[in-house]
Amino acid sequence: MAPTLVNAAVGALLAAALLGAAFDRRSVSIVIAAAALSDLDAVASLVIPGATNALLHNLWVPLLVGAVLYWDGSVRDASWLRERAGWYGVRVAWVALAAFVVAGIGPELFGREGANLLYPVHDAYYHVHGRLVFSTQDGIVQTFVTRDAAGPGILPLQSPGTTGSYAIPTWVNPDGRPGLSLDAERKLYLVRTGWQAVVVAAATATLAVRFEWHQATDAADPHSDDETTEVSR
Amino acid sequence: MVSTIVHAGFALLLAAGLLGDHYDRRALAVVLAIVVLPEVDSFLGPFMSGAHRTVGHNFVFPAAAAALLYYDTRLRERSALRERLSDRVSDRGAARWIAVAWVGLFVHTVAHVSLDWVHLEGVNAFWPLRDRFYALSGEVFVSTADGFVQTFVGVEIDPETGGRRVDAGGGGTSRTVHVSNPVEPRDPSMVTDEPVDRRFPVANAGWRLYLIGLGLFALVARRLQGADRGSDPGEKN
Repeated sequence: MAPTLVNAAVGALLAAALLGAAFDRRSVSIVIAAAALSDLDAVASLVIPGATNALLHNLWVPLLVGAVLYWDGSVRDASWLRERAGWYGVRVAWVALAAFVVAGIGPELFGREGANLLYPVHDAYYHVHGRLVFSTQDGIVQTFVTRDAAGPGILPLQSPGTTGSYAIPTWVNPDGRPGLSLDAERKLYLVRTGWQAVVVAAATATLAVRFEWHQATDAADPHSDDETTEVSR
Repeated sequence: MVSTIVHAGFALLLAAGLLGDHYDRRALAVVLAIVVLPEVDSFLGPFMSGAHRTVGHNFVFPAAAAALLYYDTRLRERSALRERLSDRVSDRGAARWIAVAWVGLFVHTVAHVSLDWVHLEGVNAFWPLRDRFYALSGEVFVSTADGFVQTFVGVEIDPETGGRRVDAGGGGTSRTVHVSNPVEPRDPSMVTDEPVDRRFPVANAGWRLYLIGLGLFALVARRLQGADRGSDPGEKN
């Protein structure tokens, strides 16, 4: 899996971009936790064969949660979530769901390991590798989406294998297979490439700046505790 | 170069997070312009050796611009920039555009210069003070066998002399390094009969497509969101 720190950093950037007036310490923590949550399936892989990047990296979980959020907020007469947590709760819930998909699953799908998007209905890992270039000699070169990709996948993407044939090593589970291997060397990656370092640095700086403004507006307007303040400058 | 579209994508995400109250189409356009314009140094290539990734891709100019902006708007008693903007728009407009300028500077440094820093031969980070290209690459991990390891900056200690050598990914100078781009698709010093192939990349790797997608997602999500503060209880989100 891509480093959880990178998932969290992208989640933090999404939180800053999308929370709006609901931006505060609590909501940002919730969104970052949602972005990092999907990596917990590495723990499940100690028991369930091949659960890494499959159990919480499929599209069914976010689709189900999204459907429930939509049903509660728009179909029912009275929304349970809005009654409990108000507009703030609804906004945080949707942004957390977006972070789960975009920041949690996204880096795996577009990274080296891949995500098992249709698990458990159809078992195959997918990753988006390739290039999209306009060349004066070759015209449009596009290799991200391929119809005739080799492998077990049914989506038009490259597939490195199934939960049976393709094991993803993590620091929780170094060989990617069930069972504790206590003697094995464990590596916890924080960043694996240069661009990930840039993303982590950008997220840190963005959060620092936003919380600075947030505190400044809070100090200027002490009666704004319940109605969370929008940053202003 | 990392495609300009990738820079723009990551810039959109950062701008959406930092513009706050100032977020609108015009502010986004200004930030994008600040991020994309330095790519024009590609066109200086035919006149100046190694201009691309040098003139518009360093940390010196953004730092100088930030220092000037800070001096003018914070330290001076009367800010020339603020007065000019106030004359043209309004006092509130002046404050707004100064905030947008800060965001533009930050986003340019992170989404443009830093992303090119990790790509190919890197950027001429300290030009014009020092002429040397730097490329950032490496990884950081904690291992049960080796402990904390980072390979971005290498520090070697010569066992004989005891002298330290720091390797931060420094490469050649603007004389020796050519970063290919659509204007100059190959090193001008290279002699070949092959036809010129100008390549305009959109995304040359999965993660670059991902950064483009992130920016577009932030843009679309901001559009679909309802008004802040739940002003309209009928709105879903």
